[in-house]
Amino acid sequence: MFTWRKLGKVFTPQNVPDRPWMAEFAQAPATLVLDDVVRVYFSCRPPRDEHGQYVSYAAWVDLDRRDLRRIVRVAERPILGLGSVGTFDEFGTYPVSVIQDDDCVVAYYGGWTRCESVPFDVAIGCARSQDGGTSFTRLGDGPVLGPSLDEPFVLSGPKIRRFDGLWYLFYIAGRKWKSVGGRPEPVYKIRLATSPDGVTWTKLNQDLVESRIEADEAQASPDVFSAGGRYHMFFCYRRSADFRGKANGYRIGYASSPDLRSWTRDDSSVGIDISDEGWDSEMISYPHVFNLDGATYMAYLGNEVGRYGFGLAILDGSLG
Amino acid sequence: MRWRKLGKVFDPTEVILPSGCRDYAQAPQALVFSDFIRVFFSTRSREARSEKYLSHVAFVDMDRSLGKVLRVAEDEVISLGGLGTFDEHGIFPLSVVRLGDVIYGYTTGWSRRVSVSVETAIGLAVSHDDGLSFERVGDGPVLAASLREPFLVGDGFVRRIGDVFHMWHIFGTRWSRYSDEGLPERTYKIGHASSVDGLVWEREEGRQVIEDRIGRDESQALPVVIDISGQYHMFFCYRHSDDFRANPTRGYRIGHAVSSNLRDWARNDLDPQLEEGPEDWDRQMQCYPHVFDCDGTIFLLYNGNEFGRYGFGAAVLET
Repeated sequence: MFTWRKLGKVFTPQNVPDRPWMAEFAQAPATLVLDDVVRVYFSCRPPRDEHGQYVSYAAWVDLDRRDLRRIVRVAERPILGLGSVGTFDEFGTYPVSVIQDDDCVVAYYGGWTRCESVPFDVAIGCARSQDGGTSFTRLGDGPVLGPSLDEPFVLSGPKIRRFDGLWYLFYIAGRKWKSVGGRPEPVYKIRLATSPDGVTWTKLNQDLVESRIEADEAQASPDVFSAGGRYHMFFCYRRSADFRGKANGYRIGYASSPDLRSWTRDDSSVGIDISDEGWDSEMISYPHVFNLDGATYMAYLGNEVGRYGFGLAILDGSLG
Repeated sequence: MRWRKLGKVFDPTEVILPSGCRDYAQAPQALVFSDFIRVFFSTRSREARSEKYLSHVAFVDMDRSLGKVLRVAEDEVISLGGLGTFDEHGIFPLSVVRLGDVIYGYTTGWSRRVSVSVETAIGLAVSHDDGLSFERVGDGPVLAASLREPFLVGDGFVRRIGDVFHMWHIFGTRWSRYSDEGLPERTYKIGHASSVDGLVWEREEGRQVIEDRIGRDESQALPVVIDISGQYHMFFCYRHSDDFRANPTRGYRIGHAVSSNLRDWARNDLDPQLEEGPEDWDRQMQCYPHVFDCDGTIFLLYNGNEFGRYGFGAAVLET
């Protein structure tokens, strides 16, 4: 048994001055634990353009390792520019997940392009940092993980992990575009690919987590954590229609696995829900779990999927 | 290599086409039967609301000398993809390969983008009725954009040689704007991938297999590979990347290369030498070649002006 004790919202992009590209949103937090700080990567957005469209950039904030509520510094510029015309990541880099690999930091991210019949498509790109995770360079102009026979579109939400020398990429893949009141909305499910080197990937081609609230449940942010001899996945899920409010919006779910491939879902054990009031009273989403100095934390988003930043919770009890 | 021209052999505006199509018979691809040749091609309808084109696959059955039309497809050969899929807005071309009782059809699916006109990827569909109809193996592609082939993967031509499936395809290298008002124009090159089953492909990530002849802005399209008298020949078409639609000096021409090992190709655009000068229908443009063997006779099918709007023609290799 475990529960998550909420520590409140710790980062608000609206409070960061002089960065017009970080006007709002701090989505999909992902951490890199450094000597004195915890660097939290997230994706943010400048105001909408003249067509009402957003782009998204990835950035980071360093939190004081001794007091995670204290902000030490914020990235001066995005970690990566947008892709060039016609490439998969021309209009956004969201979400991002990082891992240390010898003296490099490797980032996997969702690259966004705009389509005509549906609003967007997403494929997963990869970039490396040689300066400790401050700035990144793409491995190539195209994605490392794109659509295939059974995963036709919207490959996004990467979470990179390495266990026993093998690279694991948990991600989501679109299943269908569902027309809801004339507006196409994507339905996506949690998937897995593995790799010996982080570049060449083999897809498992299976849904990892069964759908619970409806067949068209959308699942995102498959964040996997090893503890107590088992693997734990915290993710988020929502209904397929009218999900931008409290009733059908994102909640955090939980599954566990002995082998990273077969997962047992048990949302009743997740130990976190929306609050009665405040910044996370309508939805909670995009969980990311990390260890720090003997404690286990979850970073997550609240209302409007992180428009006003992310918060933290600390584990009471143990995963096992 | 001397090729005797047969002239234009099929005009789509002279027949009734399925899917509400009126013109275009692009990228002809042959499937040889004992008493006829089925030629698949891509034709076009217009979307009611937007007036934009949708490419659909159809076929024409011709006699084995390509002199006579025997039958035109009455029904859709393969449906377009669903909402948001890679082949929602067109399939062009369909490239077929017979494998025992089934026919694999490698599609190039088109879907529209916002900052550029289109993205493409290669899909797979299978026919169990000699090519009258195809069912897709999945809603997604078998070959799409990758690290060093970042967009516009298409024109897959597949042959099983020995135990290996070979695919020659094209991949985009650049979207460029050539004038302030102009839309981005694409540049693409020919690449290669291999597979043991025709489904899962290992690509030579980003290797351009045919050198440029007219410079970095050369776009190369629709490779076809055939063994003629013990040597591998590739035919393809190439053009400049801008001002190629109406300017005949910059539009598509047919290119050619030879190889003994399927890996290293020596380009020699002097072939195919079509015996007489261009006729009216192919004076401005010659594109989308397809070369096939019909019981020892080597035919070339290709499109002429306006990318095949008014059909395709043929030539025969003279021995």
